[in-house]
Amino acid sequence: MKLDDYVEFEENERAERRRLASEKSYELVDHLESFQHRFEEATSGDALFGSVSPSIFVGTSNYPDVSTGILSPVGREGDADRFETSAAWYDERVSISDVFDRRTSLLNSNRPAEVTEVADAWDGFLGTQREVAIADRPVDVEIGLDDGPTLDFDVTDDDVATPTGPRARARSAELAENPHVPRPIKKTLEDDDWNAQGAMTYLYRRGFDVYDINSVLSAGALGRGENRRLVPTRWSITAVDDTVGKFLRGTVRDAPSVDSVEVWRNEYLGNAFWVVLAPGDWEYELVEMKAPGSIWNPDPEVGVAMSSAHENREGRTGYVDETAGAYYAARFGALEHLSERGRQAKVLVLRHVSDDYWGPVGVWQVREAVRNAFEGEHGEAETLGAAVREVADHLPVSLGRLRSKSTMVAGLQSSLSDFATGRP
Amino acid sequence: MFKAIVSASTLRDALDSVSVLVDECKLRLEEDELAIRAVDPANVGMVDLALEAAAFESYEADGGVIGVNLNRLEDIVGMANSGDLVQLELDEETRKLHIQIEELSYTLALIDPDSIREEPDIPDLDLPAEIVLEGAQIGRGITAADMVSDHIRLRVDTDAEAFFIEAEGDTDDVDLKLERDDLIDLQSGPADSLFSLDYLKDMNKAIPSDAEVRVELGEEFPVKLHYEFGEGMGQVTYMLAPRIQSD
Repeated sequence: MKLDDYVEFEENERAERRRLASEKSYELVDHLESFQHRFEEATSGDALFGSVSPSIFVGTSNYPDVSTGILSPVGREGDADRFETSAAWYDERVSISDVFDRRTSLLNSNRPAEVTEVADAWDGFLGTQREVAIADRPVDVEIGLDDGPTLDFDVTDDDVATPTGPRARARSAELAENPHVPRPIKKTLEDDDWNAQGAMTYLYRRGFDVYDINSVLSAGALGRGENRRLVPTRWSITAVDDTVGKFLRGTVRDAPSVDSVEVWRNEYLGNAFWVVLAPGDWEYELVEMKAPGSIWNPDPEVGVAMSSAHENREGRTGYVDETAGAYYAARFGALEHLSERGRQAKVLVLRHVSDDYWGPVGVWQVREAVRNAFEGEHGEAETLGAAVREVADHLPVSLGRLRSKSTMVAGLQSSLSDFATGRP
Repeated sequence: MFKAIVSASTLRDALDSVSVLVDECKLRLEEDELAIRAVDPANVGMVDLALEAAAFESYEADGGVIGVNLNRLEDIVGMANSGDLVQLELDEETRKLHIQIEELSYTLALIDPDSIREEPDIPDLDLPAEIVLEGAQIGRGITAADMVSDHIRLRVDTDAEAFFIEAEGDTDDVDLKLERDDLIDLQSGPADSLFSLDYLKDMNKAIPSDAEVRVELGEEFPVKLHYEFGEGMGQVTYMLAPRIQSD
């Protein structure tokens, strides 16, 4: 295997990223100030203003009494759809700065809601929010803010850690047009006897990407009537990755396995992904190596932080503690590829988060990087062990450390039938 | 025809040892024993169970096979106190199993045995090492290993005449060394295999801590764990495929 033949390292971009990292908090404040300026121009001080909303946001804190909001790029309505997280961001190769810019340009006009309220809410704020979520393009809305148009601009460490835009407490939200909703989404919305998992899978099979499904689920527009509720955006993303991933895993359950060990690689936003496919029954592991200086490294003094999670053919029973949403996002990306090929495999994903990853952009970055890792050329190796030995040269940890953290590097699960004819 | 009376605790022990691997299984109602053999859907772990007729208060069977939903059956048997007797009777007409626990009667719908996965061929292994120890000792090793890793290494050091249960984590390691004197018996031989803790933890749940467990082990070969329950009249063998190190 000659990995270096097709791997290009982006050495020259590193200095620029480091510069940005040191300035990240200033930059966020800058973004917010320029937003404020646009906002004042757009509303001219009125509590009621018109905008366009491409998406919604449901917060996690205080669940089940959450804060739920309509996002709108006030003053930049012309290209509203660019502000909605989607696979297109990868195709555009947006930078970490771009993500910060887009996220902080969205006003979150929100109000408190109890998550189950949504089941019976067909008009008013929650009704409008649902329409925004299910429409296939940004929707004209009229938003009324409480107490005049004041923005919540306190930038805390939390905001730097998870870039969010300005917030304002909303009194009302009305549709200013009749939004266009795709037929399959209408169908899942109207059928209140369809469980959420089934409806999510249906939408995926009808060609909707996980981003669309996520927004429909989050708005409480899927599932059996009495079970419908607002789903915090962050949880909803993982629920969709997991549910659609399980569906895809089912499609390859009895499929033939890949024939040889394949090594695929992709790098995006300071994250390098090595995806190793090996022959055999489905088995999957994500191993993350977070460099000192990258975000999420809990203790840079100690060096590279490692985390991993694993599943065998029957899937996981426990919660993924260490790798959280990235586990499901990377699994989805790999399974989408295998399902398209009609093959199963043992899949090892190695994620190296370098110190160029200075701001968390969200789990979409993992999903798209893995999904797109299967473009172009790949390396081959005789065995998974041989592949990992070669990849290890490019990793920030030793092969020994990788072996003690990774279940799959330590050993691949065999099956009893492998021994049916043999004897020691 | 099947009609039997058995103590709730014996029945519970039998069902527990199978339900850690599968949700449904076939019960073979042989004339002299009740037998279950099941392999998990991934074909990685197997259980082979026999409960002799003598383990029952009364037992009549003529070789039929029935399919049961184990969770359902366990729930029902869970209604019994440990001293209670459970009466089981198969209604051939309706293909239902009548279960009577004291004044409580329950009719359990059966599953068509043909719809339950066939057991694949079971490897006939002649493994070089055999370790006999208490269930509690294995349990201790598994619990400690689980703190640092999700796989576990079982090996016999032929020079040191000792059995090792080891786990290696990213930062922490666990090592349980059991020498000949710590063990009930040791037949030393070259043995060193890696196993998934997910499976072994589940199997360990069913192994009574005071049971004598006979472990057969090889080099990157499936492990076999044998133990008895129900005063020696029930026998369980687990077999678990190893994780193979790839060179």
